Amino acid sequence: MSATVPPLSQSQQHTAGSIRLLARPSLRRFRLTTSNVTAVIGTLLIAGLVLTAIFADVLSPYPPAERVGRPFARPSAEHLLGTNDIGQDILSELIYGTRISLTVGVTAALVTITIGTAVGVLAGYYRRLGSILMRLADIVLVLPFLPLLIMLAAYLGRSLWNTVIIIGLLSWAGTARIIRSQVLTIVNQDYILAAQGIGATHRHILYHHILPQVLLLATGQFVQATNAAILLEAALSFLGLGDPIQKSWGTVLYWAQVRGAFLTPAWLWWVLPPGLLIALASLGFALIGFALEQVINPRLRHNR
Amino acid sequence: MLSQARGGRAVQYLIVLVVAITLNFFLPRLMPGNPLALLAGVDVGLLKPEERAQIIEGAGLDRPLGEQYLRYWGDLLQGDLGYSYRQKRPIVDLLMERLPWTLLLSGAALLLSAVVGIITGAISAWRRAKAIDLSLLWTMIVINSLPSFWLGMLLIAVVAVQLGLLPSFGAVTPASGYSGWAHVVDVLRHAILPVITLSVISVPDIYLTMRYTMLGVLGEDFIRTARAKGLSERRILFAHVIPNALAPVVTVLTLRLGYAFGGAAVIETVFSYPGLGRLIFEAVSGRDYPVMQAAFLLFTVAVLLANLLADFLYPLLDPRTKAA
Repeated sequence: MSATVPPLSQSQQHTAGSIRLLARPSLRRFRLTTSNVTAVIGTLLIAGLVLTAIFADVLSPYPPAERVGRPFARPSAEHLLGTNDIGQDILSELIYGTRISLTVGVTAALVTITIGTAVGVLAGYYRRLGSILMRLADIVLVLPFLPLLIMLAAYLGRSLWNTVIIIGLLSWAGTARIIRSQVLTIVNQDYILAAQGIGATHRHILYHHILPQVLLLATGQFVQATNAAILLEAALSFLGLGDPIQKSWGTVLYWAQVRGAFLTPAWLWWVLPPGLLIALASLGFALIGFALEQVINPRLRHNR
Repeated sequence: MLSQARGGRAVQYLIVLVVAITLNFFLPRLMPGNPLALLAGVDVGLLKPEERAQIIEGAGLDRPLGEQYLRYWGDLLQGDLGYSYRQKRPIVDLLMERLPWTLLLSGAALLLSAVVGIITGAISAWRRAKAIDLSLLWTMIVINSLPSFWLGMLLIAVVAVQLGLLPSFGAVTPASGYSGWAHVVDVLRHAILPVITLSVISVPDIYLTMRYTMLGVLGEDFIRTARAKGLSERRILFAHVIPNALAPVVTVLTLRLGYAFGGAAVIETVFSYPGLGRLIFEAVSGRDYPVMQAAFLLFTVAVLLANLLADFLYPLLDPRTKAA
């Protein structure tokens, strides 16, 4: 490395983006392209779904809650994906469902990431509080996740807000641990000690020195949390614990299950499409998260 | 030092158990609505007056909260998980009836996904950045995005209904009169699709752990030394790389064992499979809250036992701690 890098820039080389230079050139090119491809595919998928959600009223042929056809109709020119058990247009349900599923996923991920980042930053900065908070995180991590999710959803009742809050309250612990470990590496650096030395308040240091440094990591976590939240919302709704009025993709599958659609040819237009949409949304966020992680985590750049 | 760390873990697990039990106690009592209805799990109007008195007396609803809490612990410590007024049976019986089916499903799925996950993970790491590694990696990322219940529904639609190869629901053919060998075959045929669904969605986790750990091991000095000694690639793989990569994978597998119990809830629902997960679903949709709570407690205990087992196994499997 010392042979190729001019000595003047050496001091900078050891900070932020330098590690990339340590990797062998051939491998670096390979990684760059794969991470670009994943990022592009992921972004296209999510952009498509977000546009569908925004323009749902323009795109969908019928109002989703209205009975616009014969029940259990097969796909036809009027109803491209047929109708459900009470004659609602399945395509319109799915287009509006995009709104619900994405909104719940993103909002739940926001709750997750807000709690996770706050706990992680505080736990990394204040040592004593930190050990208590991490104990709490350990407890949340060990409790059986899905049964607890189901139980809380059953007690709190079926609404979009409850789904968001339950997912957020149960998923922050992993993020908190990751953020904390990054904060722990920051707090001992010279400029933090210097800031403390010249009398900067804790509040100032937390807001101006630490928070900006963990935001990139938190963004990566947010994308992954959205992926997880979309799948969780789908599972909850599929178990009949979703909002009964505002139907998400999972709710459509719940009714398909209740009415036994997968035992008839209707699985092709009633079961296949909503699951495909859930999978595409999850995949989109997973791919973006994957690409982000390559950028954020220097160890991955090194090891993979 | 090691035993001290393990002691700390045991205390942590005990705290988790206390938290779970406390949650169980407070949730029905602090929710809006009549706690009597939440504790009974049926419409209060449907209860006979003596049943109603029995519930209030049993849970001590007329007593102060602290006393109720102590009484709750007392019942649990005596192995009394409560009574399902909906099913008119003790909850312990319900759980024990469902447990073997969940054990069958999650055990078989764990075994299958472990074999597939470890082998594919090893191949991927060994052929890193080659075509096979990339295609395996992409496959696993895609599988990770599939909603598990949807995969189950598709399998039922295609394999069970369209092709008519396997039964689509339940654990046995109802009123079939099968006995002996025919019964075993019947049970296995019913288990195939749920086990496949569970296995497929579990593989990526195991694969990724195996691949990641093995990549780490491959970069270590002793592998370089083994190469320098002129050992065959085969020997390096089986004598040096895999034994060193196995400990974290076994930990993941052990932990999955605990979570598999509750994680199967959605799959069992799709296949109408009479396991514990399906019991939770039935309890939720029938508002039979006491059953749901007892199942949650059972899942917590399963997870904690799995964690303890993992803590116990890890030092036995890691060659480095063995040497010390």
